[in-house]
Amino acid sequence: MTLDFARAGAVVTGTGAADDASDATPFLRLRKLRKFMGRQDDLAVAAAGRALQSAALTAPLGERCGLYLAVGYIPFEADDMERLIEASLDGERFSMTRFAANAFSAINPLLTFRVLPNMPAFHVSLNFDVQGPYVVSYPGPGQFYCVLEDALAALESGAIDIALVGAVADQRNVLVEHHFSRIAPAVEASRLANGAAFLVIERAVDATARGAITRARLADYRLIYSPVDPFAADPPFECLAVDGACVGGGRQFGPASLGMAMAGTVRGWLTHRLHTRDGFDAESAWEIS
Amino acid sequence: MGNIVTHRVAVTGMGVVSAIGRSVAEFRDSLFAGRSGVGPITLFDPATLPTRIAAEVKWDGDVMRDRKVTFACAAAAAAMADAMQGGTRPAGGGGLSLGLGLELFSMDDLAARRRGEPAPAGARERLLFLQTPSDLCVSLLSRRFELCEPPSTHVSACAAGTDAIGSAFRMIATGRRRWMLAGGADSMINPLGVAGFCSIGATSTANDDPPRASRPFDLRRSGFVLGEGAGMLILERLDDARARGAEVHAEISGYGASFDAHGISEPHPEGRGAFQAMSRALQEARTDPGEIDCINAHGTATPKNDPVETRAIKRLLGARAHAVPVCATKSMIGHLIAASGAVEAIAAIVGMKASMLHPTINLDQPDPACDLDYVPRAARPHSQRCVLSNSFAFGGQNASIVLRRADA
Repeated sequence: MTLDFARAGAVVTGTGAADDASDATPFLRLRKLRKFMGRQDDLAVAAAGRALQSAALTAPLGERCGLYLAVGYIPFEADDMERLIEASLDGERFSMTRFAANAFSAINPLLTFRVLPNMPAFHVSLNFDVQGPYVVSYPGPGQFYCVLEDALAALESGAIDIALVGAVADQRNVLVEHHFSRIAPAVEASRLANGAAFLVIERAVDATARGAITRARLADYRLIYSPVDPFAADPPFECLAVDGACVGGGRQFGPASLGMAMAGTVRGWLTHRLHTRDGFDAESAWEIS
Repeated sequence: MGNIVTHRVAVTGMGVVSAIGRSVAEFRDSLFAGRSGVGPITLFDPATLPTRIAAEVKWDGDVMRDRKVTFACAAAAAAMADAMQGGTRPAGGGGLSLGLGLELFSMDDLAARRRGEPAPAGARERLLFLQTPSDLCVSLLSRRFELCEPPSTHVSACAAGTDAIGSAFRMIATGRRRWMLAGGADSMINPLGVAGFCSIGATSTANDDPPRASRPFDLRRSGFVLGEGAGMLILERLDDARARGAEVHAEISGYGASFDAHGISEPHPEGRGAFQAMSRALQEARTDPGEIDCINAHGTATPKNDPVETRAIKRLLGARAHAVPVCATKSMIGHLIAASGAVEAIAAIVGMKASMLHPTINLDQPDPACDLDYVPRAARPHSQRCVLSNSFAFGGQNASIVLRRADA
């Protein structure tokens, strides 16, 4: 893997993050689509909007902007799940007949749109009019580095002028908490956090021409991928992710961990380390200015 | 400006699992025979769901709880075996680029959980309880085939398979990887998957005549039919393939992706994003629209997709549009969602190799808004040097790749 900002002649000109307290409303172009938005969509739009503000860029971004997004595990709320199963039970057993007769009509059609992993990308593209290329990847912290590689390659080639590189993780819900409770070693739900973060990356020459400020610089990195046996009883990894020191409380933001750490660092050095259960071993050092 | 293509990219291995074939040869023969894989749903009792038909894979081997993982492993093994027919493995370190389907939870497990039954104790069983994480497939494939480059996963819904191949192509073409296992796998033929698509009115309810239900570009089309399966390809540098004496099935020469930035479930009315994706793929392939001999359409048979795709093709090809055949593989295998682009790329390649166009079956009464040559009903001979393959997703993500005949 090559993360060569210098070869791409690229710099980070904007960073933005969002958490549960954030509001996407100021960035919505079509507020009628709000009903289609799940929490992950809200987080992504808010973070992208803040990153663009930080870079002094405004919509429409058009064909010369690409979107490179890593999305965390598919969320599902306990209430939605409970409604589904409640309407589908015959005694204590799942009944397909009852599911078809009762639960089907109880499914909110909008629910489908709120959990699909490509929907955060849709909402970001719609609200900022991104018409360029994209990568939508899934679901772990290592994937953020993969989409970053694709973004830098696109900038280097001249296929795009602006790369919106981000990640979103909606993790405080029953399905994602379930996932992290069953892996070994398990991750306590209280350590999982919701978050989204975006970087705006562009070629230095373009940034200079429009008077943009360089917000971050990648000083060094290494990334090794070693495929692991997903069924191993004792995986050879001690932890899912180790964030930069500025992310407090040991909270885990999944694929958004690097972006959250960068957006939370005002000035200075940030080291981001990953040691993931799915085989990524990475470390990157950033100078934040 | 486009991406910096420094290496030609060859397809040297193919593996497919679909409702009309579990090998490339069987799949090819079924395609050219115009065989439908659609039938009543047997994987579960759809009871009174509005849609009770699908294109199921008839699988008689072991199956993991999440069928798409089984299909991905089988298709990948076939693709690797195909690529290694000469006894050598592709040169250098390999990587994986995979279009992944949505992970859904099991309603039976949900009921068990509600009854207070404990989660299974074993590591394997615990990881499959309630929901099988889709990225598990990535670990299984990477480990089995010793792929040590960081894996790329793609979750752009119906465009994911094409995005996975396009992304892998670009990594090799720009010198970032030597070879890739690329494709897609999906199965949403389960209670939640079928009900979810029913709830948004996307699927056909022509339950009485399953083989005739998937009708791309036909006036009486009423939505797509769900399919399942996997398509996997081995991509490597053409020079490497030649050096090790591998059979080159085709080349991939361009990839384009775009956002509609328009509607959540409806394409841009003028097909803006579809046009952009096709144009970008051709631009990267340094191919003029006049060189396109055939298009493998997204062709879902939804009321909205087919006329918009037609419009975008007309804009791309101009006066030549009516002379270029457009095939809809989904008429036979249904919509494989995240796997569709990968399986359809294989359909396009076997067509190029055989100089045959597979038919768009069930196209009896063309929609006046869909007035191109969709190769209705029966296969026909047609020499093809260059084929465009399209995949467009809910959420406005559009992807196209350019495939070239090996000797073109």
